[in-house]
Amino acid sequence: MIGILKFLKGYLMIRVWGFSPERFMNLCSNKNILLWNITKEEDAYSMCISLQGFYQLKEIARKTGTRVVICKRYGLPFLIPAIWARKFFLVGLFLAVSFWMWSTFFIWDIELAGNYQITEDVFVTFLHSQEVTIGMPKEKLDIAALEKEIRKEFPQITWTSAKLSGTKLQIDIKENDAPIMPMETGEKPAANLVAETEGTIVSMIVRKGVPVVAIGDVIEKGTLLVDGKVPVMNEDGTVREYQYVQADADILVEHTRFFQATLPFDYIQKQYTGRTKERFFLRVGEQEWKMPENKPFLLYDSVIATKRPMLFEKLSVPVFLGSYTHREYLNVEYEYTLEQATELLNQKINTFIRTLEEKGVQIIEKNVKIDTNGGKWILSGEFLVRELVGKAEEIVKEELPEINTEVGENNTQ
Amino acid sequence: MQVPNKENFIETLQLPKDVCLGALRVTLTGNREAWIENYRGILEYTDKMILLQAKTCQVCFEGSRLSIDYYTNEDMKISGCIGCVRYL
Repeated sequence: MIGILKFLKGYLMIRVWGFSPERFMNLCSNKNILLWNITKEEDAYSMCISLQGFYQLKEIARKTGTRVVICKRYGLPFLIPAIWARKFFLVGLFLAVSFWMWSTFFIWDIELAGNYQITEDVFVTFLHSQEVTIGMPKEKLDIAALEKEIRKEFPQITWTSAKLSGTKLQIDIKENDAPIMPMETGEKPAANLVAETEGTIVSMIVRKGVPVVAIGDVIEKGTLLVDGKVPVMNEDGTVREYQYVQADADILVEHTRFFQATLPFDYIQKQYTGRTKERFFLRVGEQEWKMPENKPFLLYDSVIATKRPMLFEKLSVPVFLGSYTHREYLNVEYEYTLEQATELLNQKINTFIRTLEEKGVQIIEKNVKIDTNGGKWILSGEFLVRELVGKAEEIVKEELPEINTEVGENNTQ
Repeated sequence: MQVPNKENFIETLQLPKDVCLGALRVTLTGNREAWIENYRGILEYTDKMILLQAKTCQVCFEGSRLSIDYYTNEDMKISGCIGCVRYL
């Protein structure tokens, strides 16, 4: 602390020699002039003295018959003129610091962590729609609202945390691994069950509603299967009122499903010639500068690679370097062999069968054949399947005419 | 009857002697550093010997590479290799 104060006030290293340097020191101490680091060098003494004390030395030097010379100057008062001579440097330094401080009011980097299903592109598009971009002022960012919007937009995100660390917006998310079940609404509307496919009914379990069809019936698409309007009878067999329920039943229908897949005889495949050209670019924020180039090849595709230099990554500065690698290719026509075609078509049919199984459809019988026609491989399959039918169709409630209760009373009398 | 002198009087009252008698106060740390208070001034200063004037006596620090770290009206600090302290 004393060292700092000495530096701020300024001090000198002086050299004293002459008739009586000891008396010189005694007089200095009498006048409360601080001396330090006093050393003897041959005939003279070196010592440090405060700038303020130095101005009082004239009288003392005269009295003691000593001579005083300044050896070195230390401290701020001696630095200021030197600094002033470099005022443009100072202005530059001030501007640089000001710019640096001003730039800390903005977001310069957005980091997303914990995403597996949601791609970064999708998320960036979402952030753009929320007006969260690189270079936006920090004060315009409402973190709580952003977190809420993220959860609203992506229901598979179970947990989200956004935080600002320096000029970096760090978004951590956690996605749900389990499949998303549709939310069940509290009150189910009254509905009938209608057939969404034709076929023959082989089994029927009705839990709610009035069955309209029976086992063995042949139904068409749109046939009413279970009525959600349940009549409540009077003692005399007339309908008193209707109770509306959501019809619920497991109705198994047997029918034939057809599947057809085609594959052309020939196909076009890219064959890379091995010739590549690179085009470099520099991206700062949203702005991109590319090296000029003509059309590199007649047919080509491009691979984009982007990287950020370590320094910019650490400082969260959105400066990216990257390259487009253009790869030349030729379109070469190939023909499928029978084995290849069979394999590809088999893949298609297997996918179809897997889809059916996932839906809970039982396959009773299948008949698949591969044919050629009109320059194509054609795979056609007939599947005798059993599957659950029944699609809810909301009922429009109709008001029953009011029963004249007075008449009833008169009759009983 | 014995006339009480100033020293006895201060001794009896247990007053600090350096304040009341203006006695020299020397604090030595090993043989490297010495703090001195209540001196009048420097009489002689070389790198082998520092002679100080006190109120009632003179004190001489002898040694090698002696230097004065700071020197004020109140106190001073001598550093170096102190060989002996002599009162003259």
